[in-house]
Amino acid sequence: MLLLFKDFFCYRENGDSFRSAADEAVGRPKFGFADALPLLFVLILSVGCAGAKVAVPTQFPVPLVEKVPLPVGLHLDEALLTYIHRESLEQRGDWEIELGAAQPAMFANLLEGMFAGHRLVERLDAKHPDIAGVLSPSIEEVQFATPEQSRSDYYEVWLRYRFKLHDNQGVELGGWDLTAYGKAHKQNHAGASSALQDAAMAACRDAMAFFTQQFTSVPVVQAWLAKESGAAA
Amino acid sequence: MKLRHSALLLACILLGGCVTATVQEIRETDTAMAGGDAIVVLGRRSQPTADETELDFISCVAGNMSRGAEGFNVIDEQQFIDAVFPWFEPRIAPLNSADLPEIIKQPPLAERLERMRLKYLVWIEGSTERTDSSGSLTCAVAPGGGGCFGFLSWENDSSYEASIWDVDTGANAGRISSEATGMSYVPAVIVPIPIIARVRSSACSSLANQLKSFISPS
Repeated sequence: MLLLFKDFFCYRENGDSFRSAADEAVGRPKFGFADALPLLFVLILSVGCAGAKVAVPTQFPVPLVEKVPLPVGLHLDEALLTYIHRESLEQRGDWEIELGAAQPAMFANLLEGMFAGHRLVERLDAKHPDIAGVLSPSIEEVQFATPEQSRSDYYEVWLRYRFKLHDNQGVELGGWDLTAYGKAHKQNHAGASSALQDAAMAACRDAMAFFTQQFTSVPVVQAWLAKESGAAA
Repeated sequence: MKLRHSALLLACILLGGCVTATVQEIRETDTAMAGGDAIVVLGRRSQPTADETELDFISCVAGNMSRGAEGFNVIDEQQFIDAVFPWFEPRIAPLNSADLPEIIKQPPLAERLERMRLKYLVWIEGSTERTDSSGSLTCAVAPGGGGCFGFLSWENDSSYEASIWDVDTGANAGRISSEATGMSYVPAVIVPIPIIARVRSSACSSLANQLKSFISPS
């Protein structure tokens, strides 16, 4: 209990001004100590088993890389578009990371920066003569760790994507895995939700970054690019 | 009541704890900024997990460098990282200045950096940590009022290092380290009176001032 009071009274540096931890908790500058106590106890009781429910934001940058001079299609299936990772941690509540809603924006920007053109395709097995091939991503696995679990200062998120490449005749050429990682330091965030959201966003950005670096070195892609450049010549 | 609160606030500000700060500089090449040139201040966020510099420290240094009559054109860190995505993401970002030429020769990136007129990259590593704390403070509330009694103290240590990379030459122009230590106290007899050592603020302003004089010596 002494420790709690100590945290309550320890003023923290915040740029050029200082506000008490209690002020920040209730969000207003003038607040009596007696007024704050009941709220403080409620907060203390609720923090231990809170969990978090976050959605990855939909703002992604467009990669600044040399484009592959081919137009491609993108197939996003229902499982990807509605992907939500749910996990219950013992004594730490229920956790939820909604990834699906961010996938269209993420892959639209990724393909915008990487290819000469791109469009969404409904069916993988159909013929698409106006494009060179179709990419179809899926999320195979999501893991996360809180600072309490990892005994570190970070919220961490791992994603494992599986990419499949089809040619423009609807024939599957092959696939490959891509793992991505994101972390967020707890000191930069007001709570678990904000930090977990930031870590998930960092993992999505890492997936995009890794894709830009890995794509042309994947054997199935190399074979496809060689075939397409041969066809163009 | 308002006067009492103001007096208490003023007392808190005046009763700031003592901070000892030291700044050291190592120069490797000459530096200069022309009109329109820009710099960016970046925090090191390498993988796997390592100590990260606080985001507000990075923005504090960037803000201090952009303020004043001799202020620089400092590009916001997140805006820069987004504008040159994915080259400064943790997975790809250059770890030392020798890696920089390889990355900035990429045609789309080189063109973007040229358009930004980016002259220097400033990488910041380090953090502020509480190294020691002692004492205790007890508070009680009764229907007629409340109060606290006790004494708390803690020591914060800041240790940061900035590396300045010349984007044109890809060379490490130099390094500046800033260290600060300070003890904070909270004595309480009914009312707790925080006497705070602004260690991180002190490290931020001394590092920013030194960076300004390093990059643009007059």
